[in-house]
Amino acid sequence: MGGYAFAVDIGGTFTDIVLRHNDGRTWVDKTLTTYGDLLDGFFIAVEAAMEKAGATPADVDDVIVHATTVVTNAVLTRSGQPTALFVTEGFKDVLFIRDEHRYDMFDPQIEFADPIVPRDLTWGVAERTLANGTVSMNIDEVQIRQFSAEMREKGAEAVGICLLNAYANGTNEQRVRDILLQEWPELYVSISSEVAPQIREYPRAATTALNAYTRPITEPYLTRLSKELETRGFASRPLIMMSNGGVLGTETASRFPVRMMESGPAAGALVASYYAERLGLDRLMSFDMGGTTAKACLIEDRKPLVTGLFEVDRMYRFKSGSGMPVIIPAIDMIEIGAGGGSLASVDSLGLLKVGPRSAGSEPGPACYGRGGENPAVTDADVVIGILDADNFLGGEMQLDKVAAEGAIKPLADRLKTSVPQTARGIFQVVNESMAAAARAHATDRGIDYRGMPVLAFGGAGPVHACHVAELLESTTVIYPPLASVLSAFGTLVTPVRFDLARGSAGGIDWETAGKTYADMIAEAGIALEAAGAPADVIRFVYGADMRYAGQQNEVTVEFATDPSTGRDVDAMREAFETAYEAQYGLRLPDMPIEVVAWRISAHGPAVERHGTPELSDAATAPKGHRDVLIGDAPESVAVYDRPALAAGQQIPGPVIIEERETTIFILPGWDASVADNGCITAERRE
Amino acid sequence: MAMDGIELEILWSNLVSAASEQARALQRIAFSPVVREAGDLACALLDRKGRMIAQAVTGTPGHINTLAAAGEHFVEKFPPESLVEGDILITNDPWLSAGHFFDISVVTPVFRNGKVIAFFGSTIHHTDIGGYGVGAGARDVHEEGLWIPRAKLYEAGEPNELLFDMVRHNVRTPDEVLGDLAAQVSSGRVGSERMQLLCDRHGLDDIDELSEEIIARSEAATRDSIRKLKGGTYHGESRFDIPGGQEILLKCALTIDVDEGSVHVDFAGSSGSSPHGVNVVLNYTHAYSTFALRSTLDPDLPNNFGSLKPITVSAPEGCIVNAKYPSPVAARHVVGMYVPMPILKALYQVAPKQVLAEGAGAVWTFQVQGKDEQGEPFTSAMFNYSGGMGARREKPGLGATCYPTGVAAVPVEVLEAAMPIEFTQKELIDGSGGDGAARGGDGQVIAFHLRTEDDWLLNAVPSRLKVGAEGFEGGEDGQAGRFMINGKDAAQANKMVMQPGDKVVLETPGGGGYGKLK
Repeated sequence: MGGYAFAVDIGGTFTDIVLRHNDGRTWVDKTLTTYGDLLDGFFIAVEAAMEKAGATPADVDDVIVHATTVVTNAVLTRSGQPTALFVTEGFKDVLFIRDEHRYDMFDPQIEFADPIVPRDLTWGVAERTLANGTVSMNIDEVQIRQFSAEMREKGAEAVGICLLNAYANGTNEQRVRDILLQEWPELYVSISSEVAPQIREYPRAATTALNAYTRPITEPYLTRLSKELETRGFASRPLIMMSNGGVLGTETASRFPVRMMESGPAAGALVASYYAERLGLDRLMSFDMGGTTAKACLIEDRKPLVTGLFEVDRMYRFKSGSGMPVIIPAIDMIEIGAGGGSLASVDSLGLLKVGPRSAGSEPGPACYGRGGENPAVTDADVVIGILDADNFLGGEMQLDKVAAEGAIKPLADRLKTSVPQTARGIFQVVNESMAAAARAHATDRGIDYRGMPVLAFGGAGPVHACHVAELLESTTVIYPPLASVLSAFGTLVTPVRFDLARGSAGGIDWETAGKTYADMIAEAGIALEAAGAPADVIRFVYGADMRYAGQQNEVTVEFATDPSTGRDVDAMREAFETAYEAQYGLRLPDMPIEVVAWRISAHGPAVERHGTPELSDAATAPKGHRDVLIGDAPESVAVYDRPALAAGQQIPGPVIIEERETTIFILPGWDASVADNGCITAERRE
Repeated sequence: MAMDGIELEILWSNLVSAASEQARALQRIAFSPVVREAGDLACALLDRKGRMIAQAVTGTPGHINTLAAAGEHFVEKFPPESLVEGDILITNDPWLSAGHFFDISVVTPVFRNGKVIAFFGSTIHHTDIGGYGVGAGARDVHEEGLWIPRAKLYEAGEPNELLFDMVRHNVRTPDEVLGDLAAQVSSGRVGSERMQLLCDRHGLDDIDELSEEIIARSEAATRDSIRKLKGGTYHGESRFDIPGGQEILLKCALTIDVDEGSVHVDFAGSSGSSPHGVNVVLNYTHAYSTFALRSTLDPDLPNNFGSLKPITVSAPEGCIVNAKYPSPVAARHVVGMYVPMPILKALYQVAPKQVLAEGAGAVWTFQVQGKDEQGEPFTSAMFNYSGGMGARREKPGLGATCYPTGVAAVPVEVLEAAMPIEFTQKELIDGSGGDGAARGGDGQVIAFHLRTEDDWLLNAVPSRLKVGAEGFEGGEDGQAGRFMINGKDAAQANKMVMQPGDKVVLETPGGGGYGKLK
């Protein structure tokens, strides 16, 4: 037998698995995440899927990929052991002072999450490196040994080291690390010049501290995972999904656990990139709407946008600035407080508002009948007729339409309109707010969102995507198969990848650039080979974060070849200005340019692990019709079962297509077609 | 017929979204470091009468609310009927817009079927405006730089070459200033395009009815929220000291009229004007007064012409918060950021839960000029540091964080990479926040010197070096700040000539505590 691969995605609520045979057949399963020990859920899911397929561990000789929330979870629950931080003397409050920004000017009551390292576990090291990388004061070994003893006394078993200007020269950090390891060989040490060597002391210190904090949890977790797989007789070693949209071996993941944060959602974006490639679309917007949030990611040139900064542990979930900054390469996604459980209300101005408050899954929307009394988006979807109360989750869960209407009634009274019109209003308002957030996200990045096809998934995504697409002036919506376990599927089609960046002191110094590139290529090469990518197929992409001198807006530029070989400043300038103009709409020919960081992105070979979709052999007629309130009056809309559709089938909108975990709703004026790869595509009629 | 709450929400949220996109486009392409790093900008949508109906969900109070006032001044000089497509308006008049020359407002009319239906406006803090530069040392407003009256920056799509030339020749950083003006112009275009699409989609010829509805509902909701308070006149006063040592008193009488649902703030009894450039125009006083009221009473209500209307502000002519020509105003934020404090004290008597104790006040701002290690001259951008915020009734004040603005500080490493400056300390000062049931936020100590062989210039604007932030309800006062050169107290309003080895130490003030320590 053999020929099996599988991917497990442990998310906040569910642990999903996709098992695939190389003939294209797939088996999926979904179990509850086991918080006591996340790996319990991992193997419960694996066993369930293997049983369905009749496969044995020895048959799994293709990849095993894993995305896990273990790192994010450790941070959110603060379940790690005490961790120490070493900084330059005089700067020990770097995590407490942050960047001094009050992220909501209009709210004097805001708060911040506690820093991951308390003040009494922070030590100031007498040392100094200047901005140009010169060490102006060496460390004092005696002091470090003394700090080491103090730290031990306080029970810390991990330490982060972030010294000033170490992005330009990590020598002092390395020396502190070496002394600490002499004193205490088992200590987990993370240094900022390896974890996140980029200018700006606060985000670098925060990232280093998070890495230090999560290493003692992550390394044993990944070691246990490898051992357990081996003990059970699996032929493959696991690959770990990283936040940048690549997979890596457990060794590198263990050293840089911060790079695993948000890797599940990243895998969702990778699916969009996978379909962009398969369907031949250069640009795409992924739209994943679940119970409490919606996430969107832009795909350009068939690749998801990657950012160098994101936040964890936000005090206010959707407020930028309220969390801790993490400066690592990550898929650039926007999270919006709009989901099926988002609650509708009428504010003091008499306006209908939706979210960001959510009913979550407990008690959930009123129609779940679990005690929720406030009207949620899902209640509106039931009342206007998009969702069938009798066929939710394939009929396993009965929805209470009367309860949904009852919950909406008070709003309708306040708005002086009918319950169905209010429900339609909720549907429109939540779609408007998602479209507005997506527009803002695109505008921030200088991307013209108009006409971008939308890839819809998540429990509520296919219900709302067509209308959101209209608001974004898009004319195409794609509904992929395997929607319920799409992130897990995404990790299966994710190539090996490792991104590195090293800060530069400004200007363009070719000597340093050449050496920096060589160092990064060596490091990335080792990481990729450890993840099973043969050295001769690794592709290195050279890049740099560049800007006009004095401007803070850095643009990441890619080069066709190593720029430090040719040393062609004009060519670099041209590459920078082309990218800058695309994003900002202007060039500034008289302004000098500088490099803020050098980048290497190392890629393994592309993977092709398509699934065989579940389709019928012949086009079918609708299974029924139901009234949906789309315009001012209800309209009769045809309803299909997705598995009953055949490749090549064309259906004019409005139409509803039901599958077990979600419902596709396509508006009037749009046409749906079914492709042999299992995707349903809705296109707007001209 | 009035619009229903569903249709109105959809249209209104689209207007806010258009203004936000304008702001994001602007922040992305601006050069001015305070715009990029600190978000010191405002973008707003004004109706054809110049009334603000939507603002970007960003910006500082001093800008957004002054832009709202500027809108009406623009329309008064350039009535919509007199404008043609391609016209773009500009001013930096302190009395008509944001209170000092650095802030330039640019307003773009939106045309539909040949008629002006709205304006997109933006105000940003530019890198330079000629004259004295950053700081409070000019003797009158004319020494503070280039005064741009209300004018057309573009006429029917053609640039006003004379005006561009005037700007180019009167500022020290023409590339940055002209680049930022271009950014303001192009962000106005982004807003206009979004607005046209909105009108197309919803079949609107203009937004007059929409605007009336937004203003009426916002005004009514604001009046309702004021009516929940106890009527009467309440007094508050706040003391602090400014560069040069002068002590300032801000006094306010806050009158809540529950019949009208209105609030009037009067600053009679406040200090007279200062010889230094810390005087505040009434526009700016109004901006920070409405900000203080709205952010404590009902921060969720939208900020627009309608919600600002029930709040009126007056101050005797020529006092420090109603500066008259030709008073210098360049560093008006030093006093302006204290404007909320007496108001919060007055409000404490009717809404004790929502207010906060006095805090450090204005951020301390700095600029350094000198020669680098290669002997090349440099002028730094302005950088700033915060003291502690006052305690909230149920929560401590945040350390090293400013209220009312809360702008970010430029990282030490960014400053060290940009000029030969070296920092040796940046840490909180334990216990500098006032003790109390809720503690005031701590101030911070910052020490730096220059790595240079030459003399250098330091332009420093500290405040609260004598009078600490007052605690509320038995909470202790915050510690006053200190500003030292080579270990000796130093404070003057003018630029200081420094020697190569000089060491500068700042201790920013702590915030006041709230409630008696149990």
